[in-house]
Amino acid sequence: MDDYATVIAMLNHTWFGAELAPETQERLAKLGVVTGFESDEVVIHEGQPSEKMGILVSGRLALRTLVPGKGLVTIMSVEPGDIFGWSSVLPGMQAQSSVVATESCQALVIDGARLRAALREDHALAASVYPRVLEAVGRRLRATRLQLLDLFGR
Amino acid sequence: MITSPAPSQAAAARQWFLARGDLNSLIDALKESGRRVIGPTIRDGAIVYDEIASAGDLPAGWRDEQSAGHYRLDRRTDERLFGYTVGPTSWKRFVFPPNLTISTAHRSGQFGFDQPNPEPPQLAFLGVRACELAALAIEDRVFLGGQFQDEDFRARRSAAFIVAVQCTTSSGTCFCTSMGTGPEVHGGYDILLTEIDEGFVVQAGSPGGAAIVAALPARRPSHAESGAAVDMVEAVRARIGETLPIPGLAERLKLQLDNPRWAAVAERCVECGNCTMACPTCFCTAVVERSDMDGKLAATDRLWDSCFDSSFARVAGGDFRARPQDRYRQWLTHKFSTWVDQFGTMGCVGCGRCITWCPVHIDVREELMAIAPPVPPVERPVAVEPVAASPGSFSIARVAGVKAETEDTYTVSLSDMDPAFLRGRPGQFVMIALPAFPAVPISISRFRSNGIDLTIRAVGPTSTALTNLHPGSKGGVRGPLGTFWPIEDAYGRHAVVVAGGVGLSPLHGLVDALVANRDRFETVSLFYGTRTPEDRLFQDDLARWAASSAIDVAVTVDRAGPEWKGRVGVVTTLFDKIPWDCSKVTAFVVGPERMMQASVQGLISKGVPPDRIVISMERHMECGIGLCGHCQMAGRFVCKDGPVFRLNDLGEMFNREGI
Repeated sequence: MDDYATVIAMLNHTWFGAELAPETQERLAKLGVVTGFESDEVVIHEGQPSEKMGILVSGRLALRTLVPGKGLVTIMSVEPGDIFGWSSVLPGMQAQSSVVATESCQALVIDGARLRAALREDHALAASVYPRVLEAVGRRLRATRLQLLDLFGR
Repeated sequence: MITSPAPSQAAAARQWFLARGDLNSLIDALKESGRRVIGPTIRDGAIVYDEIASAGDLPAGWRDEQSAGHYRLDRRTDERLFGYTVGPTSWKRFVFPPNLTISTAHRSGQFGFDQPNPEPPQLAFLGVRACELAALAIEDRVFLGGQFQDEDFRARRSAAFIVAVQCTTSSGTCFCTSMGTGPEVHGGYDILLTEIDEGFVVQAGSPGGAAIVAALPARRPSHAESGAAVDMVEAVRARIGETLPIPGLAERLKLQLDNPRWAAVAERCVECGNCTMACPTCFCTAVVERSDMDGKLAATDRLWDSCFDSSFARVAGGDFRARPQDRYRQWLTHKFSTWVDQFGTMGCVGCGRCITWCPVHIDVREELMAIAPPVPPVERPVAVEPVAASPGSFSIARVAGVKAETEDTYTVSLSDMDPAFLRGRPGQFVMIALPAFPAVPISISRFRSNGIDLTIRAVGPTSTALTNLHPGSKGGVRGPLGTFWPIEDAYGRHAVVVAGGVGLSPLHGLVDALVANRDRFETVSLFYGTRTPEDRLFQDDLARWAASSAIDVAVTVDRAGPEWKGRVGVVTTLFDKIPWDCSKVTAFVVGPERMMQASVQGLISKGVPPDRIVISMERHMECGIGLCGHCQMAGRFVCKDGPVFRLNDLGEMFNREGI
């Protein structure tokens, strides 16, 4: 059992959780489990059913995908405050990439099924969490567009 | 606004001399005109303003000694009547009383509110100083200069007859010279006195004043007496000096709302409100109600209030300025900054009362200098005259070494070269040529004690030949050329360097300069993005900078293999980590043009002012001195007018295709 006040303090240090209503923060704190990952630990496997979403509190995660002929390529890193496993808010999704700890990490990890159930029944929670998930996805979309522009192209 | 008309040239020239012993004739004349005379007199160990009956009530032979939190009366060696500066009371008390009934209400008979409208007292103010005249003029703006006006103030102010006195002495707390309010009196009076050894040089400033002066037992002053009157005031100006640099202060204060000094001074401040009560311009009031026991008759009183009072900004459910530091900041920023926005002038006249009467010795001059010190004039360096500045001309340099930075990029160190190159500035470039290879422009990536470094990507014949040189080889160089980084634009601000790929090369010298002058900036950061980890330049320097506390280094790559433990993502994602107020950021950006466009958009969306974004442009160049015409960009030669530009200078030309 996590000390909820400690978890809420952690959330307050993330862009995802900082400005949530106190009751929403508490709900997330109760839904999630603070989990540590060691360097090189695989947190999510690409192609596997999405079954957990996390809010990274400290450390760094790499999103990696297998590119034929190139092997595993890191397509972006997840920095403290950001989320990983966002696809688990949708039922039946598969993980879009592997999530690997590149250093010792700590995250608030929420079981996907519990999160989806909570979002269905708690409209206030949904109204707070969905826009933030969308913002995270939007940031990645913008970053991906810039990557496609190949800013350093010759 | 009420002020006495300025004396005509003829009236100003018309001076009189009144013997000290005859001052009673002036006081009597004022009384005979139906006025009570308010003047300086000693009470409770201080010189205060109160009603006087004759010159015998004036503080003859007394002086005041003042400093922060200190006031003492002491004997003078002469019998001057106005040989002091200012005491704890100001004339505000007589035109804006500290306690005034502004309405009465009654329930008996017909319900209603009545506004008292008594005749204002007919007062003559004797001994008004230049700073105090300035304070009255400020109150005129506050109470009579806007849409809504204070009729009680208007009546009292109109009724007041003003006998001003030039300052012939000063205190350690005086700073009228800084505020532009004294010590010389310039208009706003009916009669002006300047006390010299034997008596007073007298001038009239209004028809009413002239009528009274005409009846005095006065004579024409001698040339020496007129001269002494001028000299004594000039001597006061010299003694006070200009202790507080006012130009720009209002603007500087607005940028210091988060200065830690507010909290530090609040630790000392006891919030007694003395400063606001003694201030001749503070005008805030509270409105209180009182009623008789059965509630049938009530009155509303207006009392002087203080923004230091803990209830001043309180509303139901909270207090907008709950902390003492909030209240001190409100007072000081109002006096010296936001007052200007409201009334077109500062709310301080430099009388020094708030300093003298502060029980914990807080001196506004010290606080202002600590919180918003004047910014020293920025010395902008001038570009050194380039060497070999004509087509076909080159100065010889020797290659001291070549170091691989990446697979295709090398740093070529040059030495044994004209010393002018060593006096170049970060951001400048050279044209470098080899026999049989056309000259190419290369940024200077580092200035060393005996030469310069050029970091070159091998993309064409000349650059490839340059990167294949061996130590001892020679080349021809022209330069240093072009504009350089305006490092001064970042003084006192957050300096952010954004580099993409080989764009770190022209920024390397800037980073060195920022680190070398670290105390001139709030923070210094380098955001560096490359395509892959292998594309990073200057990896030793990056590691050294990252280990230094002088600069915050963040590196990201667009893509990486599993061995890369660092950040992955486009360079603009690094802006997400900016924790500061981006309006205080000065950004220096170099990279491929697409990267600069994305970075500039990202910085502006974060709130970085466009005039604080500086970029370096790349264009085809054959000469570097504005003669070949290749590098023209919308009316500018990138070689001469650039390569370093403020974004605002480029305007629409930046981020436009085909320019």
